[in-house]
Amino acid sequence: MQQRSGGWKVINKWLEDKELKPFKFQEDAWKAYLQGKSGIVNAPTGFGKTFSLFLGAVISWIDNHPKDYKSKTKNGLQLLWVTPLRALAKDLGRAMEAALQELDIPWQVGIRSGDTAVATRAAQKRQMPEVLIITPESLHLLLAQKEYPAVFKKLHTVVVDEWHELIGSKRGVLVELALSRLKGLKAGELKVWGISATIGNLDEALEVLLGPYHGNGIIIRSNLKKNIALKSVIPEEIENYPWAGHLGIRMLPQALPVIEESQTTLIFTNTRSQSEIWYQALLKYDPMLAGALALHHGSIDQELRIWVEEALHNGILKAVVCTASLDLGVDFRPVDSVIQVGSPKGVARFLQRAGRSGHQPGAVSKIFFLPTHALELVEAAALKAAMEEDLIESRMPVMLAFDVLLQYLMTLAVSEGFNSDEIFEEVKKTFCYQDLTEEEWIWLLAFLTTGGDALGGYDEFKKVERTGDFYICRNRTMAMRHRLHIGTIVSDAMLKVKFLSGGYVGVIEEGFISRLQAGDTFTLAGRNLEFVMIKDMTVLVRKSNAKKTIVPSYQGGRIPLSSNLGRMLRQKFNEALSGRTKDPELIALQPLFNLQETLSHIPKDNELLVEKITTKDGYHLFVYPFEGRLVHEVMAALLAYRISQIQPITFSIAMNDYGFELLSDQPIPLTIENAKALFTTDNLLTELQTSVNATEMARRKFRDIAVIAGLIFQGYPGKHKANRHLQSSASLLFNVFKDYDPDNLLLRQAFNEAFFYQMEEARLRETLERIAVSHIVITTPEKLTPFCFPIKVDSLRDTMTSEKLEDRIKKLIAVNG
Amino acid sequence: MVGEIFNFQDQHWHLLAERAIFWEEEKALIVSDLHLGKATHFRKSGIAVPSGIGEEDLFRLQQLIIKFLPRRIIIVGDMFHSAENNEVQYFKIWRQQFANIDFDLVEGNHDIMAESVYEQLAINVHDTLTIRDIHFIHEPCEEANGYKYTFSGHLHPAFVMQGAGKQRLRVPCFYFGEHCGILPAFGHFTGHANINPSEDDIVFVIAGKSIIRAQ
Repeated sequence: MQQRSGGWKVINKWLEDKELKPFKFQEDAWKAYLQGKSGIVNAPTGFGKTFSLFLGAVISWIDNHPKDYKSKTKNGLQLLWVTPLRALAKDLGRAMEAALQELDIPWQVGIRSGDTAVATRAAQKRQMPEVLIITPESLHLLLAQKEYPAVFKKLHTVVVDEWHELIGSKRGVLVELALSRLKGLKAGELKVWGISATIGNLDEALEVLLGPYHGNGIIIRSNLKKNIALKSVIPEEIENYPWAGHLGIRMLPQALPVIEESQTTLIFTNTRSQSEIWYQALLKYDPMLAGALALHHGSIDQELRIWVEEALHNGILKAVVCTASLDLGVDFRPVDSVIQVGSPKGVARFLQRAGRSGHQPGAVSKIFFLPTHALELVEAAALKAAMEEDLIESRMPVMLAFDVLLQYLMTLAVSEGFNSDEIFEEVKKTFCYQDLTEEEWIWLLAFLTTGGDALGGYDEFKKVERTGDFYICRNRTMAMRHRLHIGTIVSDAMLKVKFLSGGYVGVIEEGFISRLQAGDTFTLAGRNLEFVMIKDMTVLVRKSNAKKTIVPSYQGGRIPLSSNLGRMLRQKFNEALSGRTKDPELIALQPLFNLQETLSHIPKDNELLVEKITTKDGYHLFVYPFEGRLVHEVMAALLAYRISQIQPITFSIAMNDYGFELLSDQPIPLTIENAKALFTTDNLLTELQTSVNATEMARRKFRDIAVIAGLIFQGYPGKHKANRHLQSSASLLFNVFKDYDPDNLLLRQAFNEAFFYQMEEARLRETLERIAVSHIVITTPEKLTPFCFPIKVDSLRDTMTSEKLEDRIKKLIAVNG
Repeated sequence: MVGEIFNFQDQHWHLLAERAIFWEEEKALIVSDLHLGKATHFRKSGIAVPSGIGEEDLFRLQQLIIKFLPRRIIIVGDMFHSAENNEVQYFKIWRQQFANIDFDLVEGNHDIMAESVYEQLAINVHDTLTIRDIHFIHEPCEEANGYKYTFSGHLHPAFVMQGAGKQRLRVPCFYFGEHCGILPAFGHFTGHANINPSEDDIVFVIAGKSIIRAQ
């Protein structure tokens, strides 16, 4: 037993009085913290991860101020607590304040996020609380303020909560960059800790948090395990042609008993539109739920969301229909059941959602899986198996995000200005930018000062001024605009929705509203609304009693299947085929499998199924690698490209998580003889680059990049009209960069993101290698099969062609004429 | 440069893939929506779009002038994108090569510079322009306005074509409606808007380097 400090004893006493005992991992964390280490705490939710680090800091404070820790106030910012979700901040703050109060420590706990009121911000500026809970974006906003180094003068610890959520995204890069600056300010005296759920690459997560070659990091793992009970709700009737379109509403009656028998239920859907539909349908089906049912997603008015969260805490809600907006570790004790509508597409996400119920240590998390189409039952079986084997996905860290770096440099330029050498050194120490070259650095600086390769003397580019090695932005308009644009979450332009009579409803995507005519009705925040007009960037509506309304579909709602789940899925199909399965999900699906087998074939583990079907739409080719939407998208483009080398041909392409479709107006020359060659890994990279889709994918990636790097001016939220003469679409910018500035680093980043993140080149290669040793089965079913049906009805399509533009147009004219 | 000579309203219109029309009878080159100065306008606000776009657009116009030797250039609006900037000065120098050619600008919603600036650039600014009963106005009219025919810009029209196998293609186009024709945007740093022609309308699409009648 190690020597326990005074502070430690105070904490133990406090816990004993409450008849609590710290978990071993909490004590391990305190010990490591007190030794001055940095690291990651890995524990499931509901076991006091927060206290493993927060109390560490408190112990240290008591140790350092044994006499006056109960009276010392105005101590300056000591502990910065970074959290990815605003909704978490309040909860955390409450827990910390309660502990501090019981311990009689007069520390202030502050919250800083997009929701923080102006008055609170001003007060914080005068006197920082000892603990500040902050989002990555708000942390960067602090760095964008004049005299920011003074704020962090007393800071000694940064904790990054839910690090697993941040690491795979550009928000994680924001954290890396902010940490690099804080470390620079503190000359290495900063303790940095992460809190993470289990992910496949926890060791790498530590590297990313602390920077490569940190040498002082430790991972503290708890041996606690959350008990999860997964139950599939099996449809009473299995339809033979599974279709994703009805969003699981048909299964609603079977969800009601779960809600009735539970205290509070969270109903997770994968998209906002689906949550709106479910909310409406539940109310319609069971009017008794009115008043006890709420809706929670990212487009709903913040006040309403806060109300829902409060109501969840107080246990006055029977059920909440929600999206990823409630994914993270908010601790709603009354919640004892979770219903997942549709496949969560990944093991980690499923575990996280399951963990939203049964929050008390030792309690069982109950989660009900409700398939939106029959084939998803196989995913449920696969999820169960993957959970048993602890097959949890890795989160790949983002590398060399030039857009985020440009934004960060501008952030420093609008506050205190920066010295190029100093910041380059700091940035190079982050995981994301460890391979940044001096050449690239110079390009980035030039992009901010001269706007890239300025031609001729008449250029008027203005942004950042340079004096020797020092860079600063003195233009107040630009500085203000930049502060409004800090962050990496890019959504379609969102408009506020308000009643004509006043009263705020929520926000909605501009793209959706632009398709509406006055008088059309739509659904938002569970209300039926009639569109009146758009005025000053606000959508004006009135209440509607219309029975039928349009539900907005939001972009980016589709999550691809993870590779872990894909592998498990193929195994489950094998099992189903063997007829010896014990999974109730697979047994229920037998009629569907029988039809598939009669019409076509069910692929075994060492087989790749290809179906060739002719309909009035044209000639279809369906291929089923079961590798997830993203891999299929690329594979489809590759296969289309390779076939188009045989003869001029045009395809439209569709895919889902199980397979993909090539559709053409002429017979597709894929045969048993040439099939293997068409799926080869030879020339993979070159052919991927030549395939038209690389450009299109890069174009889509460029949208986020352009916004993050500050190339797209989105206007001032609410207050002002956007400056029309400064508006342009990302697609147009992409075109002009491609034509006039092909070496632009942001353009290169778009292509890189398309290749390495979206195309998942490595995963594609593995898939092709697997196919190379597989047996390719080609069937020619007379009609559509259960496997192909969901792909065929999917309306999102890409195009791949080897025909000349002129020829294509002539053909289209001939068809239409 | 392969053009399509379109016989319409008793006149010969050379529809050019460079997104311009050469009017044979009038020896006039017609363009619309150049949006000169747009890139510089962005750059002045710290948005680093490439700087050479306007120059390239003018170079294309220069090539057309040399090929067709027009007497006048008719610009159907949005010649300049916004307030005066250095790209306007570049145009002034460029303009001097063609001192003998008239530049007739039909004012568009983006043409907001002071009258004196246009005077310096030797550009004649008109609210609308009518030649041989052919009317030019920036924003398209939907109904008959008493003239033989009307040409407009403003929309940056693109045509969406669909066919078998769920194919879909979107290309810039020349649109000829019952009363009004719409030119494609000449400037490269401009977007497109889809048009929905009715059955009797005539549409020529720009397919790379050639012009094809789509309907």
